[in-house]
Amino acid sequence: MSVVVRDETAIELQKDEIGRAPLILGDKQTFSTVTDTVAGMTEKKPPKAWPLLLGLAFSVLMILGASLTRLVGWGTGTWGLNHPVGWAWDITGFVFWIGIGHAGTLISAILFLFRQKWRTSINRAAEAMTIFAVMAAGVYPAFHVGRVWLLYWVFPVPNQMQVWPNFKSPLLWDVFAVSTYMTVSILFWYVGLVPDLATLRDRATTKTKQMVLGIFALGWRGSHRHWLNYEKAYLILAGLSTPLVLSVHTIVSFDFAVSVIPGWHTTIFPPYFVAGAVFSGFAMVMTLMIIVRKVYNLQHIVTIRHLENMNKIMLATGSMVGYAYAMEFFIAWYSGNPYEKFTFINRAFGPYSWAYWTMVSCNVISPQFFWFKKIRTSIPIMFVLTIFINIGMWFERFVIIVTSLHRDFVPSSWGYFRPTIIDISTFVGTFGLFFFMFLLFIRFLPAIAIGEVKGVMPAADPHAHDDHGPEGDGHDAHGSDDKHDKHDDGDAEAAHG
Amino acid sequence: MADKRKKWEDEPEEKVSAGGDDVVAAADAHAELEAEAKKPEPKAEAAPEPKKTKAIKPAAIVAWFQTPADLYKACEALRDAGYKHFDAHTPFPVHGLEVAMGLRPSILGWIVLGGGFTGIVSAFGMQYWMSAVDYPLNISGKPLASWPAWVPIGFELTVLLSAFACFFGMWALNGLPKFFDPVMQHTSFDRASNDRFFISIEAKDAKFGKGRAMLEKLGANDIEEVLP
Amino acid sequence: MSSAATIEKDVQRLPEEQGKKLFGTAATIAALGLAGSAAAFFVDKQRFAHSWLVGFYFLTTIGLGALFFVLIQHLTRAGWSVAPRRHMEWVSGVLPFCALLFVPVAALAHDLYHHWMSAEAMKDPILKGKSGYLNVPFFYGRSVLYFVIWAGIAFWFAKQSADQDAAKKGDTRAFTGRMQGAAAPAILLFALSLTFAAFDWIMSLDPHWFSTIFGVYIFAGSVTSSLAVLAIININLQKQGLLKRVSTIEHRHDIGKLLFGFIVFWAYIGFSQFFLIWYANIPEETIFFKRRLVGEWQYVSYGLLLGHFVLPFLMLLSRHTKRSVTVLRAAAVIMLVMHYIDIYWLVMPSLDVNGAHFTWVDLVCLLGPVGVGMVVVAKRMQSSNLYPINDPRLPEAVKLQNL
Repeated sequence: MSVVVRDETAIELQKDEIGRAPLILGDKQTFSTVTDTVAGMTEKKPPKAWPLLLGLAFSVLMILGASLTRLVGWGTGTWGLNHPVGWAWDITGFVFWIGIGHAGTLISAILFLFRQKWRTSINRAAEAMTIFAVMAAGVYPAFHVGRVWLLYWVFPVPNQMQVWPNFKSPLLWDVFAVSTYMTVSILFWYVGLVPDLATLRDRATTKTKQMVLGIFALGWRGSHRHWLNYEKAYLILAGLSTPLVLSVHTIVSFDFAVSVIPGWHTTIFPPYFVAGAVFSGFAMVMTLMIIVRKVYNLQHIVTIRHLENMNKIMLATGSMVGYAYAMEFFIAWYSGNPYEKFTFINRAFGPYSWAYWTMVSCNVISPQFFWFKKIRTSIPIMFVLTIFINIGMWFERFVIIVTSLHRDFVPSSWGYFRPTIIDISTFVGTFGLFFFMFLLFIRFLPAIAIGEVKGVMPAADPHAHDDHGPEGDGHDAHGSDDKHDKHDDGDAEAAHG
Repeated sequence: MADKRKKWEDEPEEKVSAGGDDVVAAADAHAELEAEAKKPEPKAEAAPEPKKTKAIKPAAIVAWFQTPADLYKACEALRDAGYKHFDAHTPFPVHGLEVAMGLRPSILGWIVLGGGFTGIVSAFGMQYWMSAVDYPLNISGKPLASWPAWVPIGFELTVLLSAFACFFGMWALNGLPKFFDPVMQHTSFDRASNDRFFISIEAKDAKFGKGRAMLEKLGANDIEEVLP
Repeated sequence: MSSAATIEKDVQRLPEEQGKKLFGTAATIAALGLAGSAAAFFVDKQRFAHSWLVGFYFLTTIGLGALFFVLIQHLTRAGWSVAPRRHMEWVSGVLPFCALLFVPVAALAHDLYHHWMSAEAMKDPILKGKSGYLNVPFFYGRSVLYFVIWAGIAFWFAKQSADQDAAKKGDTRAFTGRMQGAAAPAILLFALSLTFAAFDWIMSLDPHWFSTIFGVYIFAGSVTSSLAVLAIININLQKQGLLKRVSTIEHRHDIGKLLFGFIVFWAYIGFSQFFLIWYANIPEETIFFKRRLVGEWQYVSYGLLLGHFVLPFLMLLSRHTKRSVTVLRAAAVIMLVMHYIDIYWLVMPSLDVNGAHFTWVDLVCLLGPVGVGMVVVAKRMQSSNLYPINDPRLPEAVKLQNL
C-alpha cells in the first residue's frame, strides 16, 4: 500500500495565503517518496481489483472483436444504417471518443502553456487516455469503409485505380487530422515518459526489465544540457498540440457543418465542438482519476484541489456548450428559414425529444451544480455528475447526427433510427478496448509524471533558503514557502515605500 | 509500513551530519522498497575514496549534492571558475540551471520552423498537383484550385512535420539514444533519476585537474573519478 | 533582473507632468474628432451614421475586451497579471462613456437599420417573422440593458480594486475574494450581452443574414484589440521607468503570448465562419462574403487576412520578438489598425455597396470616439495607482519568470 493512507474526508484543503491549496499533500513528501509512490505502482503487486478489471475489460474487448468480425463478414448493413439515417451510432461513437481524447491534450498542452502547475499529477494519465480514446475512435471510420483491408485508399498513395483522394472532402481532412493527432499525441506522450522510464530503469530489479526500460529510456541520464533541449521540445510540442487539438474537433465538426443539412450547417460548430470535446473529455478524466486515486491511494498527489479545478473547467466548458445550444436555437428562429426552424423544433419536441432532453439535462443542467464549492469538493457527487456528463455528451452527438437526418426535406423520406444489437455491441466493445489499454498502461508505465511532480514541489526551487530541508516534508516546506511569500511581500512593501 | 515512515521522519535530522550517515539512511529506505534486491549500502558505506585510476585516464569526475539549491550554487561556482565541459544530472529540470551553468539557449526552434515550412509547402503543393493538375476533380462546381479547401490538410501537415522535426531534432541535439555514458558508473548514479543532484566535470576540460579540489570545497558528496 | 532594478521602487502614481501631457494630447484628439464629426453630420448624415457606428464600436469592443481581461484574471485567480489588470480596469472605464457615444447611433438608427426599421420591411415575410426580435422599442431597450450591464460590471470591479488600494493591510484579501466570486456570474452576463449587442448593432445591418458564430467573432476581435492596447500601455509605462517590478519584460512577454494566441483565435473563428459559408454556398448566407469578395472590398478582405493574421503571426511567433519593445509595439499598432479595418469591413459594405472608399468622414468619426476613450483612460491613470498596491498576489506577480 502507499505511503500516506488517509480518509478522504480528512483531507483539509490546506490553503496558502491567497486561497490556493498546495499541489502535493501529506506530512512527509520528499523526492524519493514521490518516486516510490509512482514507481511502486508498476513495481509492486497490483491491487486485487486490477486482474479482475483487466479480465473484464478483455471480455468486453472480445465483444468488439466479435462485432467487427460480423461487420466485416456481413457488411455495414449489419449496423442499423439505412435511408434516411445513413450515419448514426458509428459516427456518434467516433466523435464521442475523439472528444474524450481532447481533454488529455488540453491538460498536457494547454494547461502547460498557461502555467497551471496542478496539471502535473494528472497529465500523464490524461495523455494516455487521449491515445487510447483516439484508438477507440479510429475503429469506427476504419471499419465503416467495410473492406477494411483497403483502408489505405484514404491516403494519397498511388493505387490500382490511379486516382487521388478528393481533397475537398471533409472526410479526407478527418483522415489527416486524426492520424496527425494520434502521431503527435504519441510523440508528446513519449517525450514526457522518457525521464520517468529512466527512473524505472534505475530501479529495475531484473536484468530483462532493465534492458527493456533501458532501451525505451534511450540512455537518458538527466543531463541538464539535455534538459535544456528537452524542455524546449516539450514547450514546442505543447504549442503545436494546442492548435492541433482545436483543429481536430474543428475538422470533425466540418464533417457536418460544410453540408447544407439544417441542424448540421451552422457556423458556430467548430468552437462549439471543441468546447464539447473538452467538456466530455474532462468528465472522462475525472471518472477515471477518481477511481485510480482511490485504488492506488494517490490522494496526496491527485488532491481535492485537482478535482475541484477540473470541476471548474467542466463548469466553464459546460456553460460554453450551453451558450452554443442557445445560439443555435436562437439563430434557427432568427434565420427565418423554415427548414432550420423545423429541425430545431423537431429536435426538442419530435420523436427524439427524449434524447434531446437527456442531452440538455446532462450537459447544461448537471454541470451547473459545480457552482457550489460543497459539490465541487464532494467526491461521490462529482463522480455521479461526471457520469451524467459522459452520457450527455454521447447524446449530444447522437442528437446532432440522427435528429438532423431522420426527417429529410421531403416527408416521404422520414424515418426513425433503431440501433441493431451489433451497433450496441460495437460501442460497448470500444469501452473494452479503451479500458484494456488503460489498465495495461497503469500497470506497466508510470501513470503520474514523476519528474514533473517533483518539479512543482517546494523543495525543487533552486533559490530556496538554505534552512529549507531539501528532503523537507511537504507541510514544513509549505510553511517555509509561506514564509518566503511573506518575505517577498515585505520586500514589495519596502519597495512601495 | 510504520517503521518505513519513521525512517523518513528521522531523515532530516540525520542530514545535518553531512556525508556517510545520511547516505546510509537514505539507502536503507531505498533498498527496503526494492525488497533488498540491490545492494547500494556496502558501496555507500565505503568511504568516498578516489578509485584506482592509475592505468587508464579517467573520463570524468562525478559527485552529488543533496539539494537543487546546492547544485545551483556549485554550477555557478564552476561557471565562474571558468569550467566549460561540466554537466549537471538531475531527476527533473532544475529551474534556471542553464543560467548557472552558462549554457546557451536551445536552437531547436529553428529546426522546428524548418519542419513546419516544409509541411505547409508540401501540403499545398501536393493538393494542388493532385487535385488540380494530375487528376482534376470537379467538386460542387468549385474552382479546381480552391485554396480554402486545402487549409485543413495544409494545417495538419504543418503541425505533423513540425512535430517530427521537434521530436527527432531534440534527440539528435542531445545525442541520444546513447546507452552508455561514463558518468553512469558513479556508484549511486541510479539516484540521479530519483532524488540526488549530480555534477560531472569531463576530463577534456582544461581545469579538470583542479576539479576534485573544487568539488570538495563546494561540499560535494562521493567524489569519484569514472573511467571512459 | 539586475539587482539595481530590484532595489529600485516602483512608482505608485503617474507623475503629474506626464499625466497632464497625456491628457492634453487626448483632449486635443477628442476635440478635433468631435468637431469634425459634428461637421460630418451636417455634410453627409448617412455616411456619418455608418462611420460613427464604426468608430463607436471600435472603442466599445476595446473596452469590452479589457473588461473580459479583468474578469478572466479574477476567474482564474491569475497571479502574474496584477499590474496589467489595473491597466485593463482603466481601459474598461470607457464603457460608461460608450453609452454616451451610442446616442448618435440611437438617433440615426433609422438611417443605419432602415432595412428592417422602415415600413416596407413589414412587407418582407422573413423580416416580418423576425419582428418579434427586430423591432424598434426592443432594440433600444436591449441597447440600454447592454450598457447597464457593461458599465455596471466595469464600475464595480474598478471600484472594488480602488477600495482595495485604500484598505488596511488586513482587509485586502476580502476584496480579492469578492472580485473572484463575482467574476463567474459577471462573465456569463458579459458573454450574452456582447453576443446580442453584436447581433443587434452589426449583424442586423443586413437583417437577412445570420451566423451563429458572429458573437464569438466579435469577441475574438475585442480581446485582440484590447490586448494590443494593453501592450502599448505596458511598454510606455516601462519606457518611462515607472514600473520595474510589477510589470517587467516578463509580463510583457505574457501579454505578447496572449496577443499572439488571440490573433490565432481570431483567425480561427474568422476562417470557420468564412469557410463554412463558402463551402455550403447557401445564397442567403453567401451574400455576406460575396459582397466582400468582389470589387474593391476583396482587397480589404485579403488585407484583413494578411494584416490581421499572417503578418502579426509571423511577427510574434518567436520568443524574442514577443519580448522586444519595438516588435511588440509595432504588432500592437498593426492590430489596432486592423481591428478598425475589421469593424469597417463589417459595417461599411452596408453603405458602400459598390466598393470601399475611405473618406475624411470615416477619419473624424474614428478620432472622436478614440479621443474620448483616451481622455477617459488618461483621467483614470491620473486618479488611480499604477498597479493594485494591496493585491495579495503582488509578490507572485513580482516573481514571474518565463520559461
